Amino acid sequence: MSGLQTDARQSTGPLLEITDLKTHFATERGLVRAVDGVTFTLERGKALGVVGESGSGKTVLSRTIMGLLTARGVELSGSVRFAGQEILGLKAKEMRHIWGREMAMIFQDPMSSLNPLMKIGRQIVEPLQIHLDMPSDDAKATAVRLMKDVRIPEAERRLEQYPHELSGGMRQRIMIAIALACGPTMLFADEPTTALDVTVQAQILDLIGEQRRDRNMSVILVTHDLGVVAGHTDEIAVMYGGRLVEKAPTKTLFANMKMPYTKSLLRSIPKLDEPSHTRLATIPGRPPDLVNPPKGCRFAPRCAYARDRCHEEEPVLEVAEHPEHVYRCFYPVGSAEFEERDEQVKAELAREAAAVRAAADQAAADSAHGDVPLAAQLMHGKDI
Amino acid sequence: MRYVSQRLLQFFVVFIVVTFIVMVATRIGSADPVRDLAGGAVSDQQIARVLNDYPYLDQSLFLQYPQWLLDFVTGNLGYSYTQSQSGLAMFQQRLPPTLFMGFWAIVIGLAIAVPVGVYSAYKRDGAFDRGASYTSFAFISMPPLVIAVALLFLVVTRTSLFPTVGGSSYIAPWDSPWGHFRNFFIPSLALGLGLAAVWSRFLRADMNLTLQSDFIMLAKAKGVSPARVLWRHALRSSVLSLITSVALQVSALIGGAVVVEQFFGPRGIGDRLVFAIQQNDILIIQAITAVLVVGVVLANLIVDLLYAVVDPRIRHARKLG
Amino acid sequence: MAGTGKAHLRDGDAVLRVEDLVMEFPVGRTGLKVNAVSGISLDVLRGETLGLVGESGCGKSTTGRSVMQLPRPTSGSVVFEGQELTALQGGAMREARTRMQMIFQDPISSLNPRRKVRDIVMEPLNIWKRGSSAERAKVVDAVLEDVGIDPQRAAESQPHQFSGGQCQRISIARSLVLDPTLIICDEPVSALDVSVQAQVINLLEELKARYGLTLVFIAHDLAVVKNVSDRVAVMYLGKICEVASSDDLYARPSHPYTKVLIDSIPVPDPMAELHHSDIVGEPPSPVLPPPGCRFNTRCPNADDLCRTDEPQLRDLGGGHFVACHHPLETPVSLTGTVSSN
Ligand SMILES: Nc1ncnc2c1ncn2[C@@H]1O[C@H](COP(=O)(O)OP(=O)(O)OP(=O)(O)O)[C@@H](O)[C@H]1O
Ligand SMILES: Nc1ncnc2c1ncn2[C@@H]1O[C@H](COP(=O)(O)OP(=O)(O)OP(=O)(O)O)[C@@H](O)[C@H]1O
Ligand code: SF4
Ligand code: SF4
Ligand SMILES: [Mg+2]
Ligand SMILES: [Mg+2]
Repeated sequence: MSGLQTDARQSTGPLLEITDLKTHFATERGLVRAVDGVTFTLERGKALGVVGESGSGKTVLSRTIMGLLTARGVELSGSVRFAGQEILGLKAKEMRHIWGREMAMIFQDPMSSLNPLMKIGRQIVEPLQIHLDMPSDDAKATAVRLMKDVRIPEAERRLEQYPHELSGGMRQRIMIAIALACGPTMLFADEPTTALDVTVQAQILDLIGEQRRDRNMSVILVTHDLGVVAGHTDEIAVMYGGRLVEKAPTKTLFANMKMPYTKSLLRSIPKLDEPSHTRLATIPGRPPDLVNPPKGCRFAPRCAYARDRCHEEEPVLEVAEHPEHVYRCFYPVGSAEFEERDEQVKAELAREAAAVRAAADQAAADSAHGDVPLAAQLMHGKDI
Repeated sequence: MRYVSQRLLQFFVVFIVVTFIVMVATRIGSADPVRDLAGGAVSDQQIARVLNDYPYLDQSLFLQYPQWLLDFVTGNLGYSYTQSQSGLAMFQQRLPPTLFMGFWAIVIGLAIAVPVGVYSAYKRDGAFDRGASYTSFAFISMPPLVIAVALLFLVVTRTSLFPTVGGSSYIAPWDSPWGHFRNFFIPSLALGLGLAAVWSRFLRADMNLTLQSDFIMLAKAKGVSPARVLWRHALRSSVLSLITSVALQVSALIGGAVVVEQFFGPRGIGDRLVFAIQQNDILIIQAITAVLVVGVVLANLIVDLLYAVVDPRIRHARKLG
Repeated sequence: MAGTGKAHLRDGDAVLRVEDLVMEFPVGRTGLKVNAVSGISLDVLRGETLGLVGESGCGKSTTGRSVMQLPRPTSGSVVFEGQELTALQGGAMREARTRMQMIFQDPISSLNPRRKVRDIVMEPLNIWKRGSSAERAKVVDAVLEDVGIDPQRAAESQPHQFSGGQCQRISIARSLVLDPTLIICDEPVSALDVSVQAQVINLLEELKARYGLTLVFIAHDLAVVKNVSDRVAVMYLGKICEVASSDDLYARPSHPYTKVLIDSIPVPDPMAELHHSDIVGEPPSPVLPPPGCRFNTRCPNADDLCRTDEPQLRDLGGGHFVACHHPLETPVSLTGTVSSN
């Protein structure tokens, strides 16, 4: 295993190569295809954002890559090559030298992810002693330095504190300090800021970005928030129903989205630069059941652009104009079929918005006090 | 500390309620308590002696209770006229065997339950876990008497190491360690196996939950060895519920001790309690139950304090009062 | 009075008018208290949506709940449709509560898991014995249709057989059957995926128009709040920092905290300039809030005045009010002076 450690730092080629990765859970209901044939590569020093709705398999994907899903009833297949070496299916005993040392993870909930019964100091020192055999004093000094790196004030004092004595943001910083302790080459951050306030989220995302650049570390940032990945990643992978449906460099993706799903997702987010009461585009229904995924394109039952073919045949990953941009759709954004439907979609949205305004007018007219047509006024904007 | 005073108050309330109920029960169970105390069909002289020692015995229950309580807290633990022995002397003689037996039963119970529970949780649904599960269900459903009989035929009669039915007697460990072991091992094992079965199930269930929590996943992701994950990270947080189930079993332990003491010996408090009940020796019944209540409540109090030792969050919450 | 002032209250047809609301909770038996809400004033006009934003723990939910008198506020006045709620007792209070409803964040756990969905929605009508049973059924089915739930399926299924978004629709239906005037929505979309969130927001907008509702919309997501609200109040540590019409607030934030909050929102556009916020740390504990302006421990513009004197809400013109000694920009002419109550 020591061979691997030098490999990860010195070998050339992509740090991570995932090929046709599948993670299936055998459950009473049947086989849950949580990750179903995902392929991508990640260069060292790059940040990849993985986005998708709840249940699309983001967490399972990152935990599978890291080799943390080994319980009974978990069926793994495909390949995960880390620094050129296959690591999928390695035993926990063999993975231990990679965990913490080469690959580290930050979890979503800083409240539940630290051991509540162990002092902060011990939790940071633990990986240092395990992997680097640091004597206790050195490890402590390193822990203090790490805590300063992640901007925790009064680091020395905090060594002796327990997690419940810290705020959510501070705990998340501690998690980052633990993850960075042994200088990993690959960091998984699973919704690292979802449980935090926006002002703290901004600080934590900046911190992760800064540490990534300083350490030339690769990052996989899992989130459901397209806003979070837009500013903090080099590439984005969009997941839907266990499949990777679109992947591209971040700027290319936002400038030239191909998947109707990605487009619809983006459109459903309220934007700050739109006036208030702008009608939101929606995606009807909900994500597919992973035990019985729909035949054909998995998004077809909810896709406003679906045609007969989509319900019959599943699209494969196509390469777009940009060679690193792939997507899975027969009628991508920009195709004549898409544009034709999109006219209808937009018209429909406008019609709905008008209907809401009309209803507001009606309600106002109906109300006995004709002097307060406020709802109607507001729905029309400020021009009445 | 407001917390401690609150617990002590609870302690007294429980003590008073239970001992009062026991007193009422003994009086109801006997048509003529004074005569029963004196030993049944005995002379008026004997009865007069009882009344002279415990003049409150023919007063109303509500008047009796405070006087009994005063006696109890000032160290007058009653007197057995049939045995011609004071309650205090009886405890001096009979309490040590029961305490030792209970102690060893808990040690044996934990020594089996912790490794079995931890390993079952670690290899959940594996062959070991399933085996442990069947075995412990068997032991849980077996009354201590059945376990005692099984031990008698499987161990005692096949070796000549241990005294047989009713043969165990009290030997203090400092007098003869080997003698202590010979006399206490089988009775303690008879009690401890049942405890181990309950505790290992408890621990397995709790460890299963703990092992699924995020902080265990994080420990694993740090590269902490499985053994360390289990013993340092997971067991520690499951210890709380283990401590709770130990406390819960203290009363069951007393019930078991009654049976086992009678079956194998050494004759301790449990044995004495049964005898006192048979004889309607009401002052001794009251004294023993009162001491048992103190024991059970004390055990719970210790558990409560241990919570704070194990879990800093509880410590913190209690500081706030 | 150390409140943040009432300059922003209006004279119009206010469905709800809250003045100097204070809500404190004791901390164990230490004698300390959580200053969850410290003297805020609000009004909501008929047909308006008031958005309440702020970080976790700033007192948004407490404000919403104390309007419902659940529990009753420590002090202050809550006037709902001309009625002083803090003085109402028993039956009158219960009656008033039918005219204001609340919707919560966790759609699944706020519905009784053992009952059929249609019965859950029907329940308020049964409790209040509104109409004949045929009429009740008609109302419930109509409302269920309106929120996009099939009444037939609702009659046969329990909450767990519906998705999170559908459960939120069901909660909304339940809050509508008594034909309330005011609905307080406490983070109704925070637990939902963006696609489903959009469905629920659109639904609320439709229902508001159709039923002529007045809404208080609590959320921590500023973009969501902007979309649904007519007027927005920004809260920090139990106080109101800034109140303005929603477009105005986002276009011209005047309180340093509002600005930070807006700048921290991740914009789904990689070309957008990233704001590296100059505020650090996290809000202080509401048990020991800092004296003066409560934001002074994190504010880049804080000076000595901020650390001693509490700023009062003052009028910046155009319905824009801010409680800050050094507001960032003055959108219209600065007409108001420091208000004194
Ligand atoms: N151990 C497991 N056994 C069975 N099914 C599982 C297991 N873990 C996850 N799943 C299922 O796999 C699917 C993907 O889950 P995953 O947690 O990866 O989603 P996600 O994209 O991270 O969603 P979220 O945004 O809610 O975190 C879900 O349908 C989930 O129910
Ligand atoms: N019943 C209560 N007892 C004690 N403290 C309380 C109680 N309810 C709320 N608090 C405290 O009051 C403060 C405000 O809480 P509140 O729930 O109103 O915040 P919030 O703005 O809704 O936050 P979130 O975004 O997390 O929902 C917090 O510090 C909270 O811990
Ligand atoms: S393949 Fe068809 S259903 Fe799938 S995303 Fe493209 S248009 Fe929609
Ligand atoms: S009053 Fe002072 S501290 Fe408060 S927000 Fe304004 S400038 Fe900052
Ligand atoms: Mg997840
Ligand atoms: Mg809240």
